[in-house]
Amino acid sequence: MAGHRQALTAMQAGLASCHVCGKLQSCKADRNCVRCGSRLYQRKPFSVQRSWAFLITALILYVPANLYPIMNTTSLGIMDEKTIVGGVILLWSMKSYPVAVIIFTASIVIPLLKFLVIGLLLLSIWKGHTGKLNQQTRLFRVIEYIGPWSMIDVFVVILLVALIQFGGIATVLPGSAAMAFAGMVITTMLSAISFDTRLLWDNE
Amino acid sequence: MLEQALPIDNLVACHSCDLLHEKTALGEGEKAWCSRCGSLLYRTNDNTIEISLALTIASLLLFLFAQLLPFLSIDVDGNKTTIYLVSTIDTLSQLDNLLLSISGALFLVIIPFGVLLLDLLLLSALYGNKRPLTLFARQLLLLIGRLAPWNMLEIFLLGVLVTIVKLASIAEITLHQGFWAFVALVVINLFVSTTLEPEELWQAIDRH
Repeated sequence: MAGHRQALTAMQAGLASCHVCGKLQSCKADRNCVRCGSRLYQRKPFSVQRSWAFLITALILYVPANLYPIMNTTSLGIMDEKTIVGGVILLWSMKSYPVAVIIFTASIVIPLLKFLVIGLLLLSIWKGHTGKLNQQTRLFRVIEYIGPWSMIDVFVVILLVALIQFGGIATVLPGSAAMAFAGMVITTMLSAISFDTRLLWDNE
Repeated sequence: MLEQALPIDNLVACHSCDLLHEKTALGEGEKAWCSRCGSLLYRTNDNTIEISLALTIASLLLFLFAQLLPFLSIDVDGNKTTIYLVSTIDTLSQLDNLLLSISGALFLVIIPFGVLLLDLLLLSALYGNKRPLTLFARQLLLLIGRLAPWNMLEIFLLGVLVTIVKLASIAEITLHQGFWAFVALVVINLFVSTTLEPEELWQAIDRH
């Protein structure tokens, strides 16, 4: 471990590490980073507001993403799914257990976990909770990493539509849920990108 | 002023919790962690640029193979069709779902290929000590950093595997060279993302 002097943060010392390139420097108002030229901030600007805004947008998109069909097919057995949940149930009933588990985790569990964790962490910043900040930070890093994996189902739809169309097997068209779902994943990622874990520690 | 008393060049602030630490010299392959929140502060890697450049060139070649060599064949009742990854974008563009075609093109081709090309430009500029490229290098590295969260090759690979399992229930699937090139590309790409440390690249740019 690197030694740290009397528990001083960069902000308390009048310093800032650039949000883009990470260069530590003295931070005066209206300055750009000496190394990469990006605007210099001690904390991500409007982090909490932006993070909430993207999270709420994602939550709204989550509704059509689950209610509307993700693909419209002529009868194709295992691909004859309606909604995302319907697809998982169909895969399970056809004994495709590993794929059912992958899709269930990526499309249903991960988005719900992201809503829950980012929402709770934003509340934690708001309420000034200082308990278990280590776990809170680690939880955020995990969520940040697993977030994009929700895109699997969108990629599957894109590939199936393209491959089946190309192979001339049948007509498969993407359903309206596919775009809502992709939008949901992208906005939760933007919510995580806007989130600043330093704000959790500032309350300490 | 407090900041005048601090030796900035010898300090590092944790990116997760902002706590200041004094830098200590690390041995090869060692990492420094934040003493408060446990996040990674910095690490050392020798020859990062050389290794990353080699892996980037390999990735670019594999990317081209994955796109241009036969990817897989679908066989329905003796009707065999060979599919190329590059042609999926073409098929998508014929649908009237513009948003899906655009996100397909972005996530499947433009972002991964763009990042690889930018990596190649930046790393070869740093490796070859090309002076006029220094200012350019900053812009390149900024752009790479912006695109990085949207590079989803490994997730796409899992999507390909799920698609194959689903297709296998209605047709006979044969995998070809393009598919294996894609698998190799994803593995190498994971290596690049673990060896390539942006801080090291910024320091390399600063040295020029």
